[in-house]
Amino acid sequence: MSSIVEQELIPEAKKTIPRGWIFAGIIVVWAIIGKIMNGKYTLAVNLADQTKMSASINDWANHLGQNRQSNPFFVYFITPVREFISGLVDFIRSVISVPLAHSSIPMLGWLGIFAVIGFIVFITSNFRQSLFAMAMIFSVGALGLWTQSMDSLALVLTAAILSLIIGIPVGIWAGLSDRGLAVVTPILDLAQILPTLVYLAPVALFFLIGPAAATIATMIYTIPISIRLTAFGIRGVPKSPVEASVSMGTTKWQLLRHVQLPMASRTIVLGINQTTLAALSFAVIATLIGAPGLGDPVVQALVLRNVGDGAVAGLAVVLIAIMFDRSTSATLKKQGIYVPPSEKAIRNRRIGIGIFGAITVAAIVVSRQFKWAAFFPESINVSKPIADFADKFTSGAVDHFGFATTGLNTLITETILNPLESLLTGTPWFITSLAIVAISFLLGGARSAIVTTILLLAIVSTGLWQDTMVTFTQTIVATLLTMIIGVILGVWIGRSERADKVLRPFLDAGQVLPAFVYLIPMLGFFGPSRFTGIATGIIYSIPIVVKIVGQGIREVPVNMNEAAISAGSTKWQQITKVQLPAAKNSLLLATNQGLIFVLAVIVIGGFVGSGGLGYLVLVGQSKVEMTGKGLVAGLAILLLGVMIDRIAQYTVRRNSAPKQ
Amino acid sequence: MTSSHSAISVRNLWQVFGPNPENIIGSPDALLPRAELRAKTGNTAAVRDVSFDVAPGEVFVVMGLSGSGKSTLVRCLTRLIEPTSGSVVMDGEDVLQANGSRLRELRRTKFSMVFQNFGLLPHRRVIDNIAFALEINGVKKSERHARAQEVVELVGLRGFEQAYPEQLSGGMQQRVGLARALAVDPEVMFLDEPFSALDPLIRRDMQNEVIRLHKELGKTMIFITHDLDEAIKVGDRIGIMRDGAMVQIGTPEEIIANPADEYVADFTRDVPKSHVLTLRTIVRPQADGESVSGVSLDAKTIIRDATDAVVNAGGAVTVTDNGQSIGVITANDILRIVGSGASA
Repeated sequence: MSSIVEQELIPEAKKTIPRGWIFAGIIVVWAIIGKIMNGKYTLAVNLADQTKMSASINDWANHLGQNRQSNPFFVYFITPVREFISGLVDFIRSVISVPLAHSSIPMLGWLGIFAVIGFIVFITSNFRQSLFAMAMIFSVGALGLWTQSMDSLALVLTAAILSLIIGIPVGIWAGLSDRGLAVVTPILDLAQILPTLVYLAPVALFFLIGPAAATIATMIYTIPISIRLTAFGIRGVPKSPVEASVSMGTTKWQLLRHVQLPMASRTIVLGINQTTLAALSFAVIATLIGAPGLGDPVVQALVLRNVGDGAVAGLAVVLIAIMFDRSTSATLKKQGIYVPPSEKAIRNRRIGIGIFGAITVAAIVVSRQFKWAAFFPESINVSKPIADFADKFTSGAVDHFGFATTGLNTLITETILNPLESLLTGTPWFITSLAIVAISFLLGGARSAIVTTILLLAIVSTGLWQDTMVTFTQTIVATLLTMIIGVILGVWIGRSERADKVLRPFLDAGQVLPAFVYLIPMLGFFGPSRFTGIATGIIYSIPIVVKIVGQGIREVPVNMNEAAISAGSTKWQQITKVQLPAAKNSLLLATNQGLIFVLAVIVIGGFVGSGGLGYLVLVGQSKVEMTGKGLVAGLAILLLGVMIDRIAQYTVRRNSAPKQ
Repeated sequence: MTSSHSAISVRNLWQVFGPNPENIIGSPDALLPRAELRAKTGNTAAVRDVSFDVAPGEVFVVMGLSGSGKSTLVRCLTRLIEPTSGSVVMDGEDVLQANGSRLRELRRTKFSMVFQNFGLLPHRRVIDNIAFALEINGVKKSERHARAQEVVELVGLRGFEQAYPEQLSGGMQQRVGLARALAVDPEVMFLDEPFSALDPLIRRDMQNEVIRLHKELGKTMIFITHDLDEAIKVGDRIGIMRDGAMVQIGTPEEIIANPADEYVADFTRDVPKSHVLTLRTIVRPQADGESVSGVSLDAKTIIRDATDAVVNAGGAVTVTDNGQSIGVITANDILRIVGSGASA
């Protein structure tokens, strides 16, 4: 069979023009038409102007607001859900962060919380992690952000617990049943490409701004993660123990309880870890729809361009993220090994738990009795020096290396960003659309072109064509740069064990942090500009790209490399002629992931001058009359995201090297 | 048929993968070779019209190359894979007709299985792995541990009760697998290539272990293997499978002496015949004037085991069956078989 296919394909392949040339041709024709017809049919809309769609959505939102009390959907579903969740958040807050009605402190003072966190981490992992977690939480207090941190913690806990309560059973269902998997897969795929900013506004529209809406929006983000990892864990259980157990006559329930769940527990715990971290990163951005906590100072700092305060708040988020990550990943490590602890170790541990428990109880009691244990001591506050340092550091960097940061900013802006933006936004919309469809066809084939056409028309119908193109431009530029840097680093860690050892901790840490936090230093370096969003997008998406590329390079069979070396190829030839082509699938996957990650960040770049759709979403968040436009902008982001993802997916499918 | 006296009686068992499998059976397509059937209808007949009986206490070996359908066959018998049609009768009951809860009960009490990849639960200690089948059957902890401990002694796992599977070697892990299968005191044990994943030396030990356990406990066993030496060593009878069908069933001796077709002959070519065949297969009438020594041997004696006696007899040896002489053999007759070695 294969020989017939080859015989048919090879002569034809020789005749076709290389795709690179066609691609260049499309760009040239597009640019020429763009020059001639510049500024015509660009569908530009002023910031304050409504589009047809945004106006009607505004009306609908108003209508919704007025009928909140009478509409049965609200009365019997939305409102009870909101009240339940906000009750839950309020309850946790009353334990750890908000003073009770008849008192000046929450149920637990800081010392009590400090001890409880240490005790919980001690039980789930070990004493070292427990000390580490307590150090982290203490540092957060020392940053002067104790109450905000506790508020964030309350929201994160509520969202994570509810997400796990929903996500784990659904994940088990999807793990056990093929039909279950078929039902959840499209939802999970959509959730993965949906930029977080997009669903804040719709959720707030239904659940009103406040902790409930923030929690629900967070859950929309985190439930898919727990479903995916649980299902993955169940499906990853080796076949033979399952078969052996069935052959012994287990019921489905016994099989799940005694075999599948215990054997999937590692992945499920990883799911808990990822769910919690995702909830934290979302809780920061959810401050836009009323999440109490650390998001507030972060957003304030971004809006006021106050790098120092932003750095302090960002640092607090980072510390909490590291605390969550370390304590759950230590649990993970402990789980993999089934070798039993010695009798002595068990006894020591029991004693340890007893002592630690007693201390914790004492700390709780003390924290309710004494002022010094109830309120985090104000004398311990390092926020000022840290803020000053961050300010000095960034301004110093700008002073001394300003030529570099401004230069880089200007270079990228003038050589790539501006020309591409004027091409995408300044050319008549139908010409640009045609060009995008043509490129989509070139990359992903006819199906890709058809889907792209439909999505572009949908974008046009939102009325926000030009803003979408602005965002699209930045996404393309950031992804290009990400891929250049990511492939270089990926090849490096793929080829060198030592490079992997050096970079891996940074990559891991980078993936833990919320995208929002990266905006702060970038703002310090580059000021408010489109490039700031792009730089943040690059920083945020590089870890995933580097990891995928590195993995791909490492998986290239050793004998392929050896064959190339023995044939006398240079290192460069080895990389370009053997390793990169052989890792093609990984490169395509990395590009796809890079695009999605970048888009998610580019839209929050609206905070720091990126403009485009992200800015419209933010404006919609802050001004009632702009609600409709913000929602439409969210829709446009979604359409753009789906378009990018579809083109990437079709390209992957069409160009993947066949698996061997 | 003899099904009422059999521990397990399999009749016309079919397992066809693919679309509308039941339409294949009984149609002319069923007779097509596998590749042609797949090309024509998209179906794969993994098990084709297999029938056999296993006597109580017998070790019945199913042997074939990979892809011959032997693993699918054993899974059909326990319904880990649902057969397309046929019957599997144990104790007068057709296993294939059992509903969900009855099937579970059968699995818990009547038969048990040992797997090639052991299938142990890594998060449970050895003792709890062995007791697992009892646990799911609701046996109390003290009781099931007592029973598990008995089996631990039986298979030579003493001292390892508290270990986790990953701390044991492959051979020891499979002892756990054996112990687990024995714990429920089943009537029939299915062993699916139990030793294929083990090193040759360990494999030999484990084969001897199975032979020993069989002698002590007398369990009916259905033993799957791709290794003819193993089949001959442990099996009372052997069924040879090819392309999903059972091409020959017989004692090791019958199969070596009279292979049903080229395929079976190919298999048996490398087996030293003197190790398998008995004197019955080489006995011949006394020739005129042939001197006969006073020695006589039973016809059931394996040739190899008779060699010393025959060589030292100083003349032809009388072969007897139930005390009656049925002919003679000489050292030359034995040499001819030994010399034919691998390929007569």
